[in-house]
Amino acid sequence: MSLWIVADHTLREAVRRRVVLAAAVVIGGFLALYGVGVWFGYRDISTDPDLTASMQRVIVGFMLQGGMWSLNFVASLLAIFLAVGSISGEIDQGTMHAVAARPLRRSSIVLGKFLGNLLLLTVFIGISTAVMIAVVAIITGQFAERAWTAPFAMLFAAAVLLAVTIAGSTRLGTLANGVVVFTLYAVALVGGVIEQIGNFLDNPVTFDIGIATSVLLPTRALWDLAGAQLAQQSGSTTGMTGGPFSSLNPPSGWMLLVAAVYLVLALAYAVRAFQRRDI
Amino acid sequence: MDQAAIHATGLHKSFGDTHAVRGVDLSVPRGEVFGFLGPNGAGKSTVVKIILGLVQATAGDVTVLGHPAGSLAARRRIGFLPETFRFHEWMHASEFLDFHGRLAGLDRDTRSRRVPEMLELVGLAQRRRDRLATFSKGMLQRIGLAQALLAEPPLVVLDEPTSALDPIGRRDVRDIIRALRAGGTTVFLNSHLLSEIEQVCDQVAIINRGQVVAAGDLRQLLAAREVELRLGDGADAALRAAGLEPLSARPDEGRYTLTAGSDEEIARITANLAGAGVSIYEVQVRSNSLEDLFVRLADSTDQ
Ligand SMILES: Nc1ncnc2c1ncn2[C@@H]1O[C@H](COP(=O)(O)OP(=O)(O)OP(=O)(O)O)[C@@H](O)[C@H]1O
Ligand SMILES: [Mg+2]
Repeated sequence: MSLWIVADHTLREAVRRRVVLAAAVVIGGFLALYGVGVWFGYRDISTDPDLTASMQRVIVGFMLQGGMWSLNFVASLLAIFLAVGSISGEIDQGTMHAVAARPLRRSSIVLGKFLGNLLLLTVFIGISTAVMIAVVAIITGQFAERAWTAPFAMLFAAAVLLAVTIAGSTRLGTLANGVVVFTLYAVALVGGVIEQIGNFLDNPVTFDIGIATSVLLPTRALWDLAGAQLAQQSGSTTGMTGGPFSSLNPPSGWMLLVAAVYLVLALAYAVRAFQRRDI
Repeated sequence: MDQAAIHATGLHKSFGDTHAVRGVDLSVPRGEVFGFLGPNGAGKSTVVKIILGLVQATAGDVTVLGHPAGSLAARRRIGFLPETFRFHEWMHASEFLDFHGRLAGLDRDTRSRRVPEMLELVGLAQRRRDRLATFSKGMLQRIGLAQALLAEPPLVVLDEPTSALDPIGRRDVRDIIRALRAGGTTVFLNSHLLSEIEQVCDQVAIINRGQVVAAGDLRQLLAAREVELRLGDGADAALRAAGLEPLSARPDEGRYTLTAGSDEEIARITANLAGAGVSIYEVQVRSNSLEDLFVRLADSTDQ
C-alpha cells in the first residue's frame, strides 16, 4: 500500500520537476532529426541502382538498429539520472526525515521509488520505440515485426540500471554514485566491443574479459539480445556490421537469467543497506 | 494504560568515534508536555531520531506507548517535526499534507477534513495552493508542524519547533502545545529556548554530552535554591551534626554554600544553626532560574 504511495509520489515528482518535459523535448527532437535522416537516407538507397532489394533491407535494418541503440542509451542515462540521488540525496537534503518517520517500511520507500521510476521509463521507452518503428515503417515501407523485442530488452536493462543506481544511492552521495554507476555502464559498453574483438581474433582471453563485463553489469548484454533480433530481421550477416550498435554474437538466453538475478540482488541490497542506515 | 508515553533505558549511540548518546534513561509520562533541553551537540536530536526509529541505537531499549521504538505500531502513534524541516519543494502546501496523510494511513474523507484544518491552524490557509519552494523558512516550519499534527497522534515529537518563527509564531506554537495537552496529547519538545520550556513544560530533562544531568518536575527543579551563609565558630560541626552537606565551603572565612529545596528548608537550616549556637552573619538566597540551572549543568559536565 505505502509502496504505491511512494511510487505515485516518485512519478509526480518527475512530472512536476519537469524531468518528463525535458526528456520529452529531447527525445522529440531526436526522433524528428532521426526521421529526417531516415527519409533522406532511404531516398538515396532506394534510387541507387547498385543496391539489391535485400541490401536495401539490410541498410534500413541497420538504420533502425542504430536508432534503437540511441534510444537505449538515452533510456539508460535517464534511469541513472532519475535514481542517482534517490536515497542519499533525500537524506542529505533532509526531505527523507519526515517521510521515513511515517508508518511505512524502508523497503516500501526503496521499492516504491524503483517502481515509480520504472513506470516512467516504461512510458518513455514504449512511446519512443513505437514512434521510431512507425517512422521507419512509414518512410521505408519496411516493418520490423521482430523489433518488439528491443523495447523489452531496453526496459529490462533500464530496470537493472535503476536497481543498481538505487542500491548505490543507499550508500554513496549523489555525485559519487553517479560516477560509479556511469563508469560501470561504460565498462560494460566497452566490454561488448572487447568481446567482439576477442571473437574476431579468436582470442579466448579477450573474449572472456568481454563476458566478465557483462556479468559486472548486464545492461549491454541485454541490448545485444534485442540487437540480434533486429539484425536477423533485416537479414544482415556477420561482417556486415560492427561497432557498439550491433551484436555479432548474441548472448545466450542464460544472460536473461543472470540479469534477473542481478536485478533482484541489487534491490535486496538496496533495501538492506537502507534499513541499516541512520537518517 | 499506565505505561509511559516514552520509556528509554540505557540508551547509547555512537557515530564512529563520536559517542553522541551515553546511557540515557528517560520516562515521559502520558498527557504531559516534556521538555528536552541541552546545549548544541548534547545529543537531543539523536535521542529524538532513536525514538522515531530513524537512527538505530547502539545499545539500550526504547518503547513508545508500549511499542518498540521504530516499529510500525510506534510510528503510527507519533507525529514528528524534524529539526531540519526540509520538505519536497515541488509540492503545494495542501498536496504535501495530503501526501503525509496518505502515508499516515488517513482515508480520503479524513484527509479532506484535516488538511484544511491544519492549514488554518498554522496560518497558511491562504497559501494552500502555493508550492513549498516559494515558502519562507518560518512558513516551512509551520507546514512541518501541520504535518506533525495532521493524523491526530497521541504523541507529538517536536525538534526545535520554533527555531525559525517570529515572536507571534512562537506564541502560536505555545498555544498549540497547550491545546494539545488539554486534548490529552503527549508532547515531547526539544528546545534550547528556555523561556519556551518554562512556559509550557511540566517535566524536563536536561542533557549534556549525551547524558541526562537533571530530570524531573520543572517546578521542583526551579524551586531548588542556593544559600550562601557566613557563619561564626562551630559552623563545621553544627552542619555535620545537622546532616547538611555544603556544596562548597571555605571554613577559614566562615563561608558555606548549601542547596535547599524550598524557603521552609532555608528557615529550618538557619534555625538549626542558631539552635546549635552558631552565629549567622550573612544569608544570601539565590533562586535558580532555568537559565542558571542550564548554564550550571552545562558547565559542570564540561570539566
Ligand atoms: N549522522 C551523524 N554522524 C556523525 N555524528 C553525528 C551524526 N549525528 C549527530 N552526530 C554527533 O552527535 C552529537 C549530538 O548531535 P545532536 O544532533 O543529537 O545534537 P543536538 O543536541 O540536537 O544539538 P543542537 O542543539 O545543535 O541541535 C554531535 O556531536 C554530533 O556531531
Ligand atoms: Mg538538534
